[in-house]
Amino acid sequence: MSDVILKLEDVSYRYADGTNALNGCSLKIRRAARSAVLGANGAGKTTMFLHLNGILRPTSGQVLCEETPLDYSRSGLRTLRSRVGMVFQNPDSQLFSASVREDVSFGPMNLGLAERIVRTRVEEALQAVGMTAVADKPVHNLSYGQKKRVCIAGVLAMQPEIIVLDEPMAGLDAAMQEELTVILQKLHAAGMTIVIATHDLDFAYAWADETIVMEAGRLLAHGNPVEILRKEDVRQTLGAAPLVAEITSSLSLLGIDLRDKGYLPRSKQELLTVLSKQARQGG
Amino acid sequence: MLTELSAYSNRWRKVSPVAKGCFSLCGMVAAFASGSPRTALLVALLVAMAAIFGAGIPPLRYLRVAAPALLFLAISCLSLLVSLDFGDTSGASALHPIVSEFPRTAQVCARSLACLAALLFLALTTPLPDIISLLRRCRVPDTLLDLMVLCYRTLFVLSEALHETITAQSARLGYGSFRLSLRSLGGLVANLTVQVWQRSQALHLATLARNNDGALRFLECSYDNSSVSISLAVTAGSLMIVLALLLP
Repeated sequence: MSDVILKLEDVSYRYADGTNALNGCSLKIRRAARSAVLGANGAGKTTMFLHLNGILRPTSGQVLCEETPLDYSRSGLRTLRSRVGMVFQNPDSQLFSASVREDVSFGPMNLGLAERIVRTRVEEALQAVGMTAVADKPVHNLSYGQKKRVCIAGVLAMQPEIIVLDEPMAGLDAAMQEELTVILQKLHAAGMTIVIATHDLDFAYAWADETIVMEAGRLLAHGNPVEILRKEDVRQTLGAAPLVAEITSSLSLLGIDLRDKGYLPRSKQELLTVLSKQARQGG
Repeated sequence: MLTELSAYSNRWRKVSPVAKGCFSLCGMVAAFASGSPRTALLVALLVAMAAIFGAGIPPLRYLRVAAPALLFLAISCLSLLVSLDFGDTSGASALHPIVSEFPRTAQVCARSLACLAALLFLALTTPLPDIISLLRRCRVPDTLLDLMVLCYRTLFVLSEALHETITAQSARLGYGSFRLSLRSLGGLVANLTVQVWQRSQALHLATLARNNDGALRFLECSYDNSSVSISLAVTAGSLMIVLALLLP
């Protein structure tokens, strides 16, 4: 079985209004990896995501799933969308039933599953995102963060192999971001491939196994976040670098190496741990 | 919003919508079976009591929800009781009460009141998604139900967008004078029209992403002891119909 689960080969996409959202974009999504897609607004992240789920079809180039070009027939798309789940940025654009439980059941019902199985999946999905308590509440009475979680539950209930989330942290407070990170951690531990578009460089640096940086509809850089997000051209494109990366780089210029067992710290917590360890050793 | 609040917070929220639908239907049948205005008023009272004391709807809220319909009913009934006389040669016109129509108007008014109470019973005790699920069981066409689902959800999304836009306009003195208000209102309508179009596109994409290929399918809610509650509702409703038939 190939390590690459989804692949874009020289994909271009032009919207009806003439906007070229993707310009020969080629990239790979590794199986069971946590990939963070970064890029300025208008870099083509959302358009690229819509290709992964077969909602958009490339104007030129091709999208492959496990080395096989996507089948855009009705049955082909049905199979693809049951494997690749997509969570949209605005929850009000995704939730259209007024009942939480009903909305979560929408995807599995479309898969034609038996009612008993759908019921089990809905309960499992709601439990996975910690939304069982609000399952009988109307959607319009939920907070923004709760709506986002219900959106994720709606996709999880379809039991996809890959989950694609478009800016899931946008609009969430720090506590909710932390809760969402825990949910993502659990999904990754369960073997799911997770692809996230985000503007939060600190989150991407700490969380992702792979970073995909896009610029003007094409791939700019792809690889380990510690290598990619410290590059000068990437920094120029994104307009900033992760805070932890900035601190470790600045300190290394002063001759202070913060590597712990050969690895640089990636999160604020890891940085604090290394700093306190070195301070103890120095003292 | 008051209807919405009651539907989600009443004591009978978890009772099967089939049971509540049956009771409401029986209330309407009893209203038409009533031989006199007094009997129809008694049916209205019984159904209202069921909502207030059974489902625990606060009486004041019940009256506030019923008020617009009651006002409409009062105007309709009053208009049935008078005739407009354009006069003879003098050309003067006047309103005259039609005494002979009093009994029939009273009957129509009382029956309408009982039907209103029956409909309010269902609306105040059952959230709309449950009513839609009930209608689905009754084989109402899917297209109609899908429209109901989308309209109901979109109502809240757009209401939020509407309030946000009005707040943003007010913060920049958009409603400072009559002229500015008209201008802002035009902007509001234009903005919402575009939003409706954009949101409908986004919803379409979201349904496609979750493998939808036509009708909106959802899991039906399950209710504890639904057969018991249906039996109780049908029995109570039937007794009400019998009472309406027996009373003069």
